[in-house]
Amino acid sequence: MTMLSRVADRLYWMSRYLERAENTARFTSAYTHLILDLPRGTELGGWQVLVDILDAEPVFKKHYRVFNEQNVLRFLIADLNNFSSINYAIKAARENVRTTRDVLPEETWEHVNELHIMCKDMAEKSVGRRHRYEFLEQIISRCQMINGLLMTTLCRDHPHRFIKLGHLMERADMTTRIVDVGAGAILERENNNPAEDTLLWSSMLQSLSAISAYRQKIGPLVEPDPAVNFIFKEQTLPRTVAFCLKGILEELQPLKNNEAAIGIAESALRKLTRFDVQKKSYEELHQFIDQFQIYLCDLDNAITNTWFLPIPTEPQEA
Amino acid sequence: MNKSWKSYDSGSFFDELLTSTGNPRLAARGIMNFLRNLPDGELEERRAAAELAIRDMGISFTVYTEGGNIDRSWPFDIIPRAISAKEWDRVSTGLKQRSRALNCFIDDVYNKQKILKDGVIPADIVLESTNYKPQCQGVSPRYGAWAHICGSDLVRNKDGKFYVLEDNLRVPSGVSYMLENREITKRVLPELFQNYSIMPVDDYPTQLYKTLASLSPQQNRKPCIAVLTPGIYNSAYFEHAFLAQSMGAELVEGSDLFTDDDDCVYMRTVDGPVRVDVIYRRIDEDFIDPEVFREDSKLGVPGIMRAWKAGNLAIANAPGSGVADDKVIYAYVPEMIRYYLKEEPLMESVKTYLCMLEKDREYVLKNLDKLVIKPANESGGYGMMVGPHASAETRREFAKLIEENPRNYIAQPTLSLSTAPTCIDHKVEPRHLDLRPFILQGKDVWVTPGGLTRVAMVKGSLVVNSSQGGGSKDTWIVESNK
Repeated sequence: MTMLSRVADRLYWMSRYLERAENTARFTSAYTHLILDLPRGTELGGWQVLVDILDAEPVFKKHYRVFNEQNVLRFLIADLNNFSSINYAIKAARENVRTTRDVLPEETWEHVNELHIMCKDMAEKSVGRRHRYEFLEQIISRCQMINGLLMTTLCRDHPHRFIKLGHLMERADMTTRIVDVGAGAILERENNNPAEDTLLWSSMLQSLSAISAYRQKIGPLVEPDPAVNFIFKEQTLPRTVAFCLKGILEELQPLKNNEAAIGIAESALRKLTRFDVQKKSYEELHQFIDQFQIYLCDLDNAITNTWFLPIPTEPQEA
Repeated sequence: MNKSWKSYDSGSFFDELLTSTGNPRLAARGIMNFLRNLPDGELEERRAAAELAIRDMGISFTVYTEGGNIDRSWPFDIIPRAISAKEWDRVSTGLKQRSRALNCFIDDVYNKQKILKDGVIPADIVLESTNYKPQCQGVSPRYGAWAHICGSDLVRNKDGKFYVLEDNLRVPSGVSYMLENREITKRVLPELFQNYSIMPVDDYPTQLYKTLASLSPQQNRKPCIAVLTPGIYNSAYFEHAFLAQSMGAELVEGSDLFTDDDDCVYMRTVDGPVRVDVIYRRIDEDFIDPEVFREDSKLGVPGIMRAWKAGNLAIANAPGSGVADDKVIYAYVPEMIRYYLKEEPLMESVKTYLCMLEKDREYVLKNLDKLVIKPANESGGYGMMVGPHASAETRREFAKLIEENPRNYIAQPTLSLSTAPTCIDHKVEPRHLDLRPFILQGKDVWVTPGGLTRVAMVKGSLVVNSSQGGGSKDTWIVESNK
């Protein structure tokens, strides 16, 4: 099985963009629900939190003045200037599938294309509260359907490998961002009312689709340290950071010239394992996540340099 | 009969589905009975369903405009065109004959040049053609096959006979739409298939694969085949991807390939370089190798011609094939058939006046209002004039062009292209159409059952090119032994 470097690159990004769209839809949906439950006056950083997760304040400021619900939701759902908006991510995913459809199962293109048409037509209309929930649900379920299609029909060789790498990299990245911004907003909020803690932490787990797993494994009461610990280290849940890193290592193993990438992924995993959330201030947690993000960034560079921009080496027969 | 059909009248033209008395032709009987008896409004519903299917299947082509490139949905008319298998047999035999002769010709002019020495075709019109590539001299591809994929344009004239209008030997496109058209028809008019025996078209990718594989320089292993595309902004990118996928070949762009010191071409892959055996190029030959042809080409692969000439790589269609795809050469194809194959041509060609010949030119200039004037080597329907439809000013313009550069123009009588019923604004109206079958030649010669039917959607228009507003139809070759 041969795989063009260019195709590997595009599959990796197709997968990252699909995962990004799904994650953005998930946390937007969870946050919208949370806001409905919160008593007035619980500020929680307002709608800006959602922009912070994407680390997109500069882009936002270029196009909007106020972080109100309408602006932020438009920015997250429909705005094509925002590379992490659902609309942009779906469009980019589609463009990547359009140029790699020859290595993907036939139906992939059709589903991604339908998703793109739906998104293009509905995004702007779904900024308001009335249609928002339905739209986000659609995005999530269609992304999952495409993932399911890929996972059940793709041969376990290179295309699958780079799709999975993209998917896990994006998820590890998003998960750490959500924990960072979410924990910050909860811990640093004004009028800190401990009675709301459970609600807020549950909502964060909800946005990571980890709430029911947490209840089963840890218990019904959601507390800060166990929650962060769970989302970082739980080995069995596909949405945790440890799970993503292990998966990445697994996929890197069969690739040629994998030393650099494996080195970085192993260091990141070691750092995560050693991190003890107990007795840590928010400042320390934030610092840890910052450093962890640098590892992810280095890993992405290593993958790009090794497999997507290869320098010709010794020729070999196919 | 439902009302969409009430006023259907194809006038004096040959209609593909109906006889001059308005009865269905034998091959079209089932289609007509079904469509005419659909309840009012249902034809429109089916049409809308087809539009939706096309959108969802993402069947598109790219149109270049000043405002950027637009990815447009494929224009499709749901009423199929039917041709009887018996008639198709004759056409397909004629096309194979033609393709064999054309390949003999190309192989000859780059090697011994017997046909020129024997004076059958004037040497200067071949050797001085911009389509003749001296860089290809002395190369002998396997089986003497140069134009491995040929898309000939056929039209049916008033007399009911098929004529070859042109042979596209460079990078003919449209075959994926032929396949997709059948898919759509199966989705929106499934009932039609019940009582018919229609020859399937989906064998094409397999046949193409076989043809390409037969060209591989390394016959002892599974060949590595790549489809070379100019990239996603090409109008036929959809087709390139489609064909690569259905053959299990790699879809590559120029930057994915490089030629090494051993004169072999390699792909850049995640496992390192992998040698390529056969390239199905969808790039014009002028762009395939900046070392040999256009230096400014960013689409090609430096050194690919070296690899081809060294016999380490097969290229389909072979560079230089375009020499036979010239409207002046076209006039000589019947002679080629007699010369190389010692056979009489089975397919009709259109009477062609060569403006370079004084006698012909005189006739052409006098009869501009009756003739179609075509540049000798443009494609896509650009730069041509349909005499009867042109203004006096345009005719004067063309007269000037012809006198300035006679080698560059040919003229043909205006054919009365056949029509077929086509859905236009909730009604069914006759529209002109042509047919592009595809002929594959490697170790064997093979012709698609049917081909891509293109329709001029504008009333009275003869221009069927999708880049200029043409549509298409599913084409059925029907066994009618009932």
